[in-house]
Amino acid sequence: MSELEVQATLSRGERSRSRGRRVTPFEVLAVVVALFLLVAGLLPGLLAPGDPLGIDPAAAFQPPSPAHWFGTDESGRDIWTRVVHGAGTSLVIGFAATAIGLGVGLVLGTIAGMLGPAVDFSVNRLLEVLFAFPGLLLALLFILIFGPGVWTATVAVGLSASPGYARIIRGQLLAVRRSSFVEAATVLGRTRRQLLLRHILPNTLAPLFVLGTLGVGQAIVWASALSYLGLGAQPPAAEWGAMLSAGRTYLTTAWWMSFFPGLVIVLTAVAATVLGRAIERRARYA
Amino acid sequence: MRQRASTLLIALAAVSALGLTGCSPASVTPSASSTPVSGGTLTYASGDAEPSCLDPHVGGNYPQALIATQYLESLVSRNDKGAIIPWLATSWKESADGLTWDFTLRDGVTFTDGTPFDAAAVQANIAHVQDPATGSSTGYLALQKITSTEAVSPQVVRLHLSAPDSALLESLSQVWVAMESPTALKRTQDENCASPVGTGPFMVTKWVKQDSVTLVRNDDYTQGPADSAHTGPAYLDSIVWKFIPDSASRYAALQSGQVDVIDNAQPDTIVQAEKSDQIAHLDAPRPGASNRIELNSGKAPFNDPLVREAFIRSANIDAAVKSLFFDTTKRSTSALSSAEALAVSRPDLFGYDPDQANQLLDAAGWTKRDADGFRVKDGKRLTVVFPVSTNQSIPAEQSLFEQLQATAKQTGFDVQLTPMDLSSWYGALAANDYNAVSAPYTKVGPDVLRILYHSDGITPAPSGYFANLAQVDDPKLDALLTQAAKTSDPDARADLYTKAQNRLLEGFYLLPLYDQQNHYLYRTTVKGLRALPTVSTPTFYDAWLAA
Amino acid sequence: MLVHSAGGLFVLWAVATLTFFAVRLIPGDPAQAVLGGPGSQASPEALAAVRAEYGFDQPLLVQYLRELGRLATGDLGRSYALNMDVAPLLLAQLGGTLLLALLALAVAWLLALALATWSTLGGKTAWAVGSGIEITAAALPHFWLATALIILFSTWLGVLPPISTPGPVGLVLPVLTLAVPLAGFLGQIMRESFQAALESPFVLSARARGEGELGIRFVHVLRHAALPAVNLSGWAFGSLISGAVVVETIFARPGLGRTLLNAVTLRDVPVVIGVVLIVALAYILMTLVTDLAGALLDPRGRTA
Repeated sequence: MSELEVQATLSRGERSRSRGRRVTPFEVLAVVVALFLLVAGLLPGLLAPGDPLGIDPAAAFQPPSPAHWFGTDESGRDIWTRVVHGAGTSLVIGFAATAIGLGVGLVLGTIAGMLGPAVDFSVNRLLEVLFAFPGLLLALLFILIFGPGVWTATVAVGLSASPGYARIIRGQLLAVRRSSFVEAATVLGRTRRQLLLRHILPNTLAPLFVLGTLGVGQAIVWASALSYLGLGAQPPAAEWGAMLSAGRTYLTTAWWMSFFPGLVIVLTAVAATVLGRAIERRARYA
Repeated sequence: MRQRASTLLIALAAVSALGLTGCSPASVTPSASSTPVSGGTLTYASGDAEPSCLDPHVGGNYPQALIATQYLESLVSRNDKGAIIPWLATSWKESADGLTWDFTLRDGVTFTDGTPFDAAAVQANIAHVQDPATGSSTGYLALQKITSTEAVSPQVVRLHLSAPDSALLESLSQVWVAMESPTALKRTQDENCASPVGTGPFMVTKWVKQDSVTLVRNDDYTQGPADSAHTGPAYLDSIVWKFIPDSASRYAALQSGQVDVIDNAQPDTIVQAEKSDQIAHLDAPRPGASNRIELNSGKAPFNDPLVREAFIRSANIDAAVKSLFFDTTKRSTSALSSAEALAVSRPDLFGYDPDQANQLLDAAGWTKRDADGFRVKDGKRLTVVFPVSTNQSIPAEQSLFEQLQATAKQTGFDVQLTPMDLSSWYGALAANDYNAVSAPYTKVGPDVLRILYHSDGITPAPSGYFANLAQVDDPKLDALLTQAAKTSDPDARADLYTKAQNRLLEGFYLLPLYDQQNHYLYRTTVKGLRALPTVSTPTFYDAWLAA
Repeated sequence: MLVHSAGGLFVLWAVATLTFFAVRLIPGDPAQAVLGGPGSQASPEALAAVRAEYGFDQPLLVQYLRELGRLATGDLGRSYALNMDVAPLLLAQLGGTLLLALLALAVAWLLALALATWSTLGGKTAWAVGSGIEITAAALPHFWLATALIILFSTWLGVLPPISTPGPVGLVLPVLTLAVPLAGFLGQIMRESFQAALESPFVLSARARGEGELGIRFVHVLRHAALPAVNLSGWAFGSLISGAVVVETIFARPGLGRTLLNAVTLRDVPVVIGVVLIVALAYILMTLVTDLAGALLDPRGRTA
């Protein structure tokens, strides 16, 4: 199982005990975080007008204050500004990696789920092999071959997530295929193509939206882990993982340098989880 | 290996003659009131890479030097005034033509495996370093001029040289050519790498890979280099030498008392430690070259001296050094370490002057600016590709490069910093895919200039490595450096190196930053710790633990 | 069982093959890696000798078959960078990582169990708080949590060592770093199944018989509720191994994770393949064990 599958399982569990459409305080918070990230990602200047790369050596290592809400880093750059401007990078990485993971997973999952037992067996063995790799290693090898950077990290995260997507998608395809309405359609003489397009895919795609939401959160955390190891975004880029990594050096003297970037990573991941579940729950009632 | 490595100590009693005592690596002496006590285990935490071989003849890098200093000894050492002093050799004599050297060895010394230390042992060690199968790079370079050895008597060994070498004594003082038991050297390289046998105050007893090396006191030890504080065996029972690559963890471990000494201390923790009465600071800048940025004069845009000068004038290094290193180090304007007596500093050449930088770029034809504010010429952006080795540049230094990037941008330089691991970094250099680079090079004495800036250094080794990263190709400079290496008259030699350095610095081939940083923090319960004034590695022979 | 073994062998073969070719794609000369890395001044003769000795001059396919042949006899080869055989090297590192992972797994289980029990017992608020704690814990990246724990327990409170020392005290922070996020996942799953089990007919009948609430929980619910979490432990173990890379580096603990990171950056192919094979093997065994445990716990005899 992959982390994604665990998350998806947990989200589905939400159905069993959900107590109606009432909006929980967690969900409100998650929406606020998501809105903040969107605004920060699209119009960072609105929240933080400064230059995320602008240095001011005279103002280095300042603790949080009204002038610098999150303090400043070793070159006097404002951490609040960098966190806000970093949202764009993180969102792009999150969405792109999820798109890659979903794309590859969709192709693998579909051919496994649709092309009969022989193909299904082969794809399953392939997935098993990929799962036996520690997730980090797959990304590590990919980055070493293609060199570190934001884009290789994004592709690496997407690819390492794809087996998880593939297996979920395959499972769902099989479940839908076996379901009564597809059987009915088969009896009615629909072609395989019609089956896939009109019945199976739409029923499989709805949960993909939930999966995607969860996936974006996870991809952001993974990408920041790679940046932390020095394999993703490169300094001085305002990327959360890279900022956190740079801040660890000054842990004992400037805790704010690593605390705030870490905090937004955690908040983003939590918001994605909560939102994914909220969507799942509502999809059930829709 | 060049990683924080490599040396050839230039021998010059002139160093002390010139009286540059203030520039020598620092040392800490135990306070007079306290009496050393024996016993106890000291824990050392190194931030340097764990050596793959504990025998520093093999390869030869700084991490090996750090640990091998505890169990191996050299023929000679240096004192903190820069003079060569006796160690395993009690006296030495150079022939009139400078082609033969006789070393008289100390009597009654045995290796920790019982093998006697004699002329044959010295011969075996030189042969071992020079044997290609050993794979020595640093030691090999240091002994390059030795053509043959001969045992005049059991206590006198004679070295024959291919040419006079005024650097020979300093070369021999390095731990990379320290003496190992000839009996032990006969084992396989794997065995010798795991447990090299020397004559030192400690011996290797256990090595748990990725964790620690255990060193135990050699009870038969009688005396250290001539400048040691005591004779007889060391005070400490044993040393646990740990490898803690993460700098924050390393400092936290020191703070909480898990370890007693750490190396590679970060500037902010040094400042913090200096306020504490539990932690003390030992600053031991490495000899040889200063830390500097080499400008690749072999290709555009830095093949134009005007652009090189403009780049140097556009970089606000002083402000960066102040904000990032606090007052733990000083800005350098020399190609050589401040530990070098013959270092020439030229503050006039390396000041921050954006106006002049702009004028220089205009004069060089980089007159237009593109939408991003970077200068362009013939449709090409003024780009400086700057690969950064994350293994060799501490975080503060990487931040310094970021600040340089920001200030140079104002003048119109597009500095592209690319942090990379060591393999990729060497790859980029071998492919000539860089315009600027910072590569540390430890090597005592001004002869380091010949390695780094003689045009011979542009020809790459089979591995693709070459030392002359600025790709300086100046016949006049070559002649000065070659002549200086052969000249043993102190005044004539000093004159040649001064001329060479001025020529080099005025060519704007390099941007000096500061001395090669080498800071240790230790708990104040550790007494008698000092750095050996050869390559500034700490020695624990005189160290003891206060209750 | 036979099918399992055959499948396991297939996975091991495929993992070795994939790693072998992937590592070969990494730029850099393996002979150079053997001779002290890219900065060394190895002579052309020495390089040629190493190429011949290690067979780097052979076609890739020949090298691959040789490698397979060696692996088949249980020989993991020789490290390029560390001057020693891979098998004893990894064997020495394996213990530390296994201990760390198993302890973290156990602690995560206990934390999750405690939290799940409390939050299902404590009404709506406890449920919401428990759920919030779990989701947050599950989102904590190891590298940040380790940092926060060091600041809190070592720098500020000074009660626990910031690096891994021999003895149980040195294990506390590394184990917590790995266990807390995992407990977040396990806790959520346990709570879901606790709730489902509590609402099930057999619990209702137990209540009707007048059994106490705590007794019900431990006797009846736990067994059913633990099942999904047991199934999850295979995954959990795999993710702990990934986490070990970060944790072992930060806490300076010897182990497979740190060895792997070093080996990858040094292009030390035999070590990388060795670690990957060991982890894959552990993963396969763990999956097998959880399948068996699942079968034992599940009254219906089989779970997916």
